[in-house]
Amino acid sequence: MAANMDPSFPCALTIEVPFPTPRLASIALKALQVDKELSPLVKRNFYVNPSASGSTQENLESCILRIEYKATTNRMLRVAVNSFMESLNLVIEVMEELDEDVLAAKDSVV
Amino acid sequence: MTKPIPNSTTSGEGREEGKGKGAKTKPRYGLGCEGSANKLGIGIIAHDPETNQSRILSNIRHTFVSPPGTGFLPKDTAKHHRSFFVRIAQTALREAHLSPRDLDCICYTKGPGMGAPLQSVAVAARTLSLLWDKPLVGVNHCVGHIEMGREITGAENPVVLYVSGGNTQVIAYAEQRYRIFGETLDIAVGNCLDRFARTLEISNDPAPGHNIEMLARKGGKVLLDLPYAVKGMDCSFSGILASADILAGQMREQQARIRKREQKQTNGESGAPNGDATAKQEVIPEGKEKSQGRSEQNEVIITPEDLCFSLQETVFAMLVEITERAMAHVGSNQVLIVGGVGCNERLQEMMGLMAAERGGSVYATDERFCIDNGIMIAHAGLLAYETGFQTPLEESTCTQRFRTDEVHIKWRD
Repeated sequence: MAANMDPSFPCALTIEVPFPTPRLASIALKALQVDKELSPLVKRNFYVNPSASGSTQENLESCILRIEYKATTNRMLRVAVNSFMESLNLVIEVMEELDEDVLAAKDSVV
Repeated sequence: MTKPIPNSTTSGEGREEGKGKGAKTKPRYGLGCEGSANKLGIGIIAHDPETNQSRILSNIRHTFVSPPGTGFLPKDTAKHHRSFFVRIAQTALREAHLSPRDLDCICYTKGPGMGAPLQSVAVAARTLSLLWDKPLVGVNHCVGHIEMGREITGAENPVVLYVSGGNTQVIAYAEQRYRIFGETLDIAVGNCLDRFARTLEISNDPAPGHNIEMLARKGGKVLLDLPYAVKGMDCSFSGILASADILAGQMREQQARIRKREQKQTNGESGAPNGDATAKQEVIPEGKEKSQGRSEQNEVIITPEDLCFSLQETVFAMLVEITERAMAHVGSNQVLIVGGVGCNERLQEMMGLMAAERGGSVYATDERFCIDNGIMIAHAGLLAYETGFQTPLEESTCTQRFRTDEVHIKWRD
């Protein structure tokens, strides 16, 4: 993080969120990155490493959603990250309860 | 808290027949997510391509109710929507007896509305669209209200009065757009009523407007003087609210004065023994009744009931006036009332009197469809989807400002 320090955006935070599968990691990325950051004082980037058919280590990498936040002040950083966490929480809850396999499993129980 | 609304079928006999007959071509299903204000609604609708009939498979709603004297703030409302989304979606799917695979599209409210609640529902709708691999359709909230009103009432080409907590517009259709003939210049009529409910500190459950309507029914002995603010085709409500607030302040002072006077009387007459004082206090309400709306100084006693009555009569008269002018302009004798304030029966009654004089009629729906709901988003979204419209994921944002006439109504001639 120190390496790519931006003097005008000194407050930085990187969040890594592990998902069970590369599919879910990429869905979270796509659902969350649509809404632009409202303040020009905050910059952010989303990454998921593309899934490779190679080693399991690489596949584990593609399950991780990585978000880099940079802001002018710690306050701006906190506000932006808090709001991101709330959205992330909703995305994960929707995945846990409304993915097709979850619904199908529930139906068969009933 | 409001109760979830049971699923229902739209009126009209053809719908049930259509279900049996249209076995050849599969009906299309749309799921709609609405959360532009304090209601979170998810509904599922079916369109039969052969009969052109719609069927409502589920229409579930949960309302964020703030304490008396307060309004709903964007942050708290968004939090409400996030915490109820999964539950409401599960119920909607269960009631519709559908699996996500059966759906054709996921519709969500793109705007207009409050930013944070809109965004929270859009995030969830996007996640559903990605999980289930179904296209997204962004819907204009106002168009949702209009299309659902037309579908339920069967009104062909009405002048539409769209009145809610966030919007006040008189709309007529021409050349594939819903054109705005008149609108509020400041706050929405529903906002005026909601905020007056806050001034009186009456309950927001089930809705502040509903409680004002109930109080207004008990009033009506006097029509208090309030400004009447129609400006051409437009109207203004903020000055009326300010005047009503001033009257409410005067009412409180008056109540305090009366209480003081009565206390003086009891204290003066009774030497003080406790038993005596309570006996006197019981007499007071009777004495008040005798004065019948007049205090001893012969001043008019203002009651919350009269205030609600006067406010409703004034603002509804304004709405009827601008609607009548639009009808004369367009040459239509049908009025369709949509939006949350549209379930007010006094507004429907006043509009009905005006329409009857013009040889026309009023079309209104009940609270299931008047008040914000998911099914209207599903319906308008599915209509757009059937013309080939989709919202690409990258463009599936929300916007607080999204005018009714920005939408190309491709599905009408």
